[in-house]
Amino acid sequence: MSDDQGSAAEPVQRQVRVQLTSKQEDIALPESTGPILVPTGLRRYALSTLVNNLLSSEKPIPFEFLINGTFLRTSIDEYLSANGISSETTLEIEYVRALIPPLHIASFQHDDWVSATDVLSATAPAATWASGATFSKGQERILSGSYDGFLRVWNMSSETIATSPAATEGGHTASIKAAKFVSPNQIASASLDRTVRLWKYTEEAGGFSGKIAPQLELYGHKSGIESLAVHAPSNRLLTGSSDHNVGFWSTKKADAPAAPENLLPSNAARNSKRRKLNSSVSTAQRGPLALLSAHTAPVSAAIFDARDSTVGYSASWDHSLRTWDLVTASLVDTRTTAHSLLSLEHLPDHNLLAAGTSARHITMIDPRASATTVAAMTLRGHTNAVVSLARDPHSSHGLISGSHDGTVRLWDLRSTKTDKEGIVGESVYSIPRKSLEEEGKADSKRVGGEGVKVFSVCWDETVGIVSAGEDKRIQINRGEGVLSSAKE
Amino acid sequence: MLIDKKRSRLEEVPQVICTPTMDARKASKKRKAVTRDVEEEAGVFSGDELSAENLDGALSDNANDLSESEDDDSEIELIDDFSDEDDEEEEELDSDEIPSDVDEEPKKSAVKEWNPEEPNVRIVKDANGNERYLYDEINPDDNSDYSDVEENANTIGDIPLTFYDQYPHIGYDINGKKIMRPAKGEALDALLDSIEIPKGWTGLTDPATGKPLNLTQEELELLKKVQMNEIPGEGYDQYEPLVEYFTSHQEIMPLSAAPEPKRRFVPSKHEQKRVMKLVKAIRDGRIQPWKAPEEREEVDENLINFDLWADEQERPDHIMHVPAPKLPPPGYEESYHPPPEYIPDSKERKAWEQADPEDREKEYLPNDFGSLRKVPGYENFVQEKFERCLDLYLAPRVRRSKLNIDPESLLPKLPSPEELKPFPTTCATVFRGHKGRVRSLNVDPTGIWLATGGDDGTVRVWEILTGRQLWSAKLSDEDAVNVVRWRPGKDAVVLAAACGDDIFLSVPPIADPEIEKASLEVIDAGWGYAASNPTPHNPEEKKAAPPTWIRPSSTLADVGVCAVIPLRYVPKSISWHRRGDYFVSVCSGASTPASVAISIHTVSKHLTQFPFRRRLKGGGPPQTAHFHPSKPILFVANQRSVRGYDLSRQLLVKILQPGARWISSFDIHPTSSSASGGDNIIIGSYDRRLLWHDLDLSPRPYKTLRYHRKAIRAVKFHPGGRYPLFADASDDGSLQIFHGSVTGDMLSNATIVPLKVLKGHKVTAELGILDIDWHPREAWLVSAGADGTCRLWM
Repeated sequence: MSDDQGSAAEPVQRQVRVQLTSKQEDIALPESTGPILVPTGLRRYALSTLVNNLLSSEKPIPFEFLINGTFLRTSIDEYLSANGISSETTLEIEYVRALIPPLHIASFQHDDWVSATDVLSATAPAATWASGATFSKGQERILSGSYDGFLRVWNMSSETIATSPAATEGGHTASIKAAKFVSPNQIASASLDRTVRLWKYTEEAGGFSGKIAPQLELYGHKSGIESLAVHAPSNRLLTGSSDHNVGFWSTKKADAPAAPENLLPSNAARNSKRRKLNSSVSTAQRGPLALLSAHTAPVSAAIFDARDSTVGYSASWDHSLRTWDLVTASLVDTRTTAHSLLSLEHLPDHNLLAAGTSARHITMIDPRASATTVAAMTLRGHTNAVVSLARDPHSSHGLISGSHDGTVRLWDLRSTKTDKEGIVGESVYSIPRKSLEEEGKADSKRVGGEGVKVFSVCWDETVGIVSAGEDKRIQINRGEGVLSSAKE
Repeated sequence: MLIDKKRSRLEEVPQVICTPTMDARKASKKRKAVTRDVEEEAGVFSGDELSAENLDGALSDNANDLSESEDDDSEIELIDDFSDEDDEEEEELDSDEIPSDVDEEPKKSAVKEWNPEEPNVRIVKDANGNERYLYDEINPDDNSDYSDVEENANTIGDIPLTFYDQYPHIGYDINGKKIMRPAKGEALDALLDSIEIPKGWTGLTDPATGKPLNLTQEELELLKKVQMNEIPGEGYDQYEPLVEYFTSHQEIMPLSAAPEPKRRFVPSKHEQKRVMKLVKAIRDGRIQPWKAPEEREEVDENLINFDLWADEQERPDHIMHVPAPKLPPPGYEESYHPPPEYIPDSKERKAWEQADPEDREKEYLPNDFGSLRKVPGYENFVQEKFERCLDLYLAPRVRRSKLNIDPESLLPKLPSPEELKPFPTTCATVFRGHKGRVRSLNVDPTGIWLATGGDDGTVRVWEILTGRQLWSAKLSDEDAVNVVRWRPGKDAVVLAAACGDDIFLSVPPIADPEIEKASLEVIDAGWGYAASNPTPHNPEEKKAAPPTWIRPSSTLADVGVCAVIPLRYVPKSISWHRRGDYFVSVCSGASTPASVAISIHTVSKHLTQFPFRRRLKGGGPPQTAHFHPSKPILFVANQRSVRGYDLSRQLLVKILQPGARWISSFDIHPTSSSASGGDNIIIGSYDRRLLWHDLDLSPRPYKTLRYHRKAIRAVKFHPGGRYPLFADASDDGSLQIFHGSVTGDMLSNATIVPLKVLKGHKVTAELGILDIDWHPREAWLVSAGADGTCRLWM
């Protein structure tokens, strides 16, 4: 039908034979559908209408079309000429469900800037690692670490279930910069007070209140800790700090060495009243398994390899990305880029590391020694430093990034184009802060993302996209189907 | 007369025929005459008489039938003349001598043959005394006269008879009948014929008929009569009685009273004939208007000709030779009958007439004349031609080598800003919190924290990337914090802040205990020293007595302030020595005594010294001072100059005259002295100038950059030399980023490339940006604005 429309509109239009396929069975065309002759002037929308007609579905499903692994963003004609494909050949076009915008679900209001967030759900790593504990649906918890030094655990009804103790009772004495669930019962947090703290998290039966109790204090960093990564099966933590070191820690009190004396707050030269109060609660203090020092500038992110917990990666303001062998605590590889790196995420299926930079883009770095190019791909679109990254739990090619420009952007590694700077990707969606919208200033652009900076993002399969920012909120957006999930 | 002439000619004939032994010279001449071309002879021989026709034919075998009549000159004269001419020719062949027979010259002028070299005109005076050219009489060569053709004349024309050798006939008569070849007898007959000469035999062959030409009896008798000087005709009576048609008597009374006959008034046929002769002669080119060239030359001698281009020659094609431009061809407007759209209407015409001649767009008004004959004379013709001439020779024509230069190429070859990345381009963070202006800011040596001080009397420390305020200390309720500076070095975290008359040294609680301890020790070390070595009080210099460092009040001590230096005057500038043990402060107020304006503070000894007793010469109070990044040199700027003092030798080593009226700030290139051996200093001034000084070149600025609209308040090199960047901040609310690379070799000068103007700060009370600082490692810039915000640019 659309064939007819197309040829009526442009009688001299060339035609091309296309084979429409889909890997999703529910939307797949019947086997008998052979190659179809379509005008080359068709774009995504026309093709989508065509497929809907072929499927004779009552409610039209928007589709995206992939030719040779890239989304069709132009007309078929332009695609053919751009790629030098003859219109005589039969085009293999794969179609997938188009993305659904990541709709805003909820926002949780805090007292201060929210610097860190994590999710505990059946699909979250903390729950999957804890094989013994079964996690029921509806019990999702959201952890937030705030600049006021408190950790909070929220349920999905925007109720605070638990808050970490204040500084006088064994809490952080400075802003929390990173926080993660280690297991459904354990939380790790890193702070500007140079400590990593492990907390025991317990919930009451109803699930309406809980308790965060200090378990372990880890000393070793000499400056604020910027990032924290956990690997529960091996009981290991990885931190990146402004003192240029990557800390490698054990969550087990027994494993960890003693804390370095000189860094303990009791050793502080100044006898301020505030610090005195600190000693009211005594928590076990431990030191790092290893301090990996090679960076020459603050380490902004340190993560475990997604598949191999003995490999760690760290990104630093000194422009370098380093690979560590955590068993021997030795530096394996250094990749130097052109900009300060502020965040890091591992995409194991692509063997890529996504690094957010201060230069407002995300660089995809192949950390393998065999890789010749430093930057395999560049994702452009942010207007300020990219400080947080999270991978798509649904697919291997999805990525979200939180930036100081006040947006969270979704990226699809397949939605790229090649220009003079190499492969450049554009974001699929940009999620603005709901707070701006509520203030009625959704359109106004904040200089430097003032007041709306996003500090942390987390993407959970069940909960969705959780982002925390300077607007003192945790914002939850729908994360399902936002990227065309072509699950093989 | 005519008859006489004829006779005389006939008399000649026997000479030719009958006197074969002639004088040799004469004979040769005659031969020559005979062999001449027909045309030439046509002029020589004359006579159109029918009777003479045959004779002529007898004299020359190929003579043309056509002969011309001779009017007045006698045959003898003609012959003489002819011979003379021949003589001349011969003589001319032999020598260049002048012809000897000069006395015969006038006769020669009468020769009818036209000679182009000679005038065929006589000049006489007419009745008015004017010159009158009298042309010779011209024989019109009247070819209307046809000689009668013989009855049986051959009509084959001018074809040699040999053409008919093969045929029995020799041609055709007028009736188309063949003229048969006359029968030829045998050789004996011929011999007999020759022996027996018939009467009238001439021995010639008639070319027309091919027959032997014999004279008839009548002709012979005529010849005889001629020979005998008798009358030619037979029936001619010499003595006939005279019939008097017109009496010889003059009648007194006219015979008739008839009026003058008409013929006297009608044009004369005779005259017409003469005119026709002239016309024919002119047509034939025999008469040509001739003017004596000598006369012209005589006239020209009296005139002076200003022929400007008389000596102009074809010039070889040369690049500097410009031929006169050609006038453009006339357009439609200049037509006598232009299309109506070119004809001005009355308004245009009026405007043209009223306009000054110099202002007129064109010098004429298009006019429409119905036809060309209605076009009046052009009144400006002479003037225009004159002006054109003036144009042509007065207008200097110079080949202007038009500068066909791409304007882009005139710009200095600066690298494009794209190649000079990274440099700050956008505002990444806004630090909001200060009430009132932020007067000063500084990034700590580790590059994590930013310290600011402002009008609200607070010193604040921020997380540089997120803009989170980490620490704040209120130093004063009234006074503004004028300057904050971190102590260099990563071993301790000490912040010096000048607020009011005091300088506060504080240790913000942001560092880990170890460093905090070290920092406190750095400051506390001096307490003991100051106590044990009290400053000697000099009674004479009581006024300039160095201040003693004091401990802060408990409230200040709680927030982290460790030491206070009361200076009694408001310090506006603090600059640390790179080792972190000294800093220099400058009280730039006009009321500050010169001796205490500049003070150097030693942190380890809690010692404040005033190195300058007197005011720096020329340029008002000192403004700011900096230690050299690697050498023991202190640079001090007053309003108009920057001086460098060697601290170890205590000598003035450098005076810079930037030419600015009021220096606001300056900065020393961090690495140029170690990289290239020479220092480079940038100076910002309140009179909107940014000056780059290369100390090796001259005390004057190497480059002056005037890009700001308002005063420049701060200039800063990127520290550490990792990025060759510098920036300035101005009251117009903008920052300007420059690339300023200093090369290692001494030969090349610094490259300065403007990179970026950063705008964002609001101008508040005519103040824009008050201070800037670079991140120690990154190409990030922080700026303190009068609008109460600080901004991070990356």
